[in-house]
Amino acid sequence: MAPTHDPQLLKGVLSLLLLRLLAERESYGYEVVQRLHALGLSDISEGSVYPALARLEREGRVEARLVASRSGPARKYYRPTAAGVQALAEGTASWLSLAAVVHPVLVRRLPDPPTSPEDT
Amino acid sequence: MATSRRTLDRLHIERAVWTMDARLQDLPRRSRIARRRELRDNLRAAAEDVGGRQAVRQLGDLRVLAAGYLTAEYGELSRRPSWAAAALALLLVDAVMTVLEHVARTAFDAGITATAPRISGTFHWTGVPYLISDETFTYLNGTYTSVGGAWTPLVYVLMFAGAFVGGRMWRLISARLRQRRQTRLAVTEEKSGSRA
Repeated sequence: MAPTHDPQLLKGVLSLLLLRLLAERESYGYEVVQRLHALGLSDISEGSVYPALARLEREGRVEARLVASRSGPARKYYRPTAAGVQALAEGTASWLSLAAVVHPVLVRRLPDPPTSPEDT
Repeated sequence: MATSRRTLDRLHIERAVWTMDARLQDLPRRSRIARRRELRDNLRAAAEDVGGRQAVRQLGDLRVLAAGYLTAEYGELSRRPSWAAAALALLLVDAVMTVLEHVARTAFDAGITATAPRISGTFHWTGVPYLISDETFTYLNGTYTSVGGAWTPLVYVLMFAGAFVGGRMWRLISARLRQRRQTRLAVTEEKSGSRA
């Protein structure tokens, strides 16, 4: 049973994840979804990935090209533009600096709850 | 058996694709077609893995997906043109004019036949100023044929002005400018076996 992730948290980092995956290897929509699932993010649906790709394309952070497919019509492959690579670098730095602050706080051991007189 | 399953998958996919297309009517035409084709291709790829029905199910709520595409096109809170409102404005002017024409002609006919139900002769109706041109009614034993009575160019101007204003069509200009900025897709041949 794969762990479920907070949709709001996922939404915040989805663009960053997509840029990262596409920087590693250009992919078409469904392939990106499969790669996300392979990372353990199985609760990310196609319905959130496809519009996110469209938004990145509109913002000029990814560009698309049609590649002929053996199994049917040409597929639309995405890859980051120069602006996308820059956005990825900035986003990664921002995420890491935030995680560096948040993570130690969240993994700190909580103090023991105070014992009430009735317990003794 | 495999063929029938493939056909069923295609039907599931096409139903989802065209449902989505209907929800994306407010996108510019080229963009809507591109989204439709891409969605179909992705669904076909998914169907090879999990079947058509499951591939469509994995999309989630199509309304949410459509809203996502519209937001991707026009921005989070930007104002969008509405093709549906434009079509409604066209239909509204058309309906109003049709009713007006029918009522006016019926009234004219009633005025003529009220005095002499079995009348014969030719009568001239001046139409409705600025909207409906004049019309000639030829009666034979109380029934008529008519020539004229066309809508004036002003009606068509009103119709398209209503569609432009109602559909907020000026917002298409910014969408067009965005589209021009987008990189043109280059179709390249994939060498067989080049992809892992």
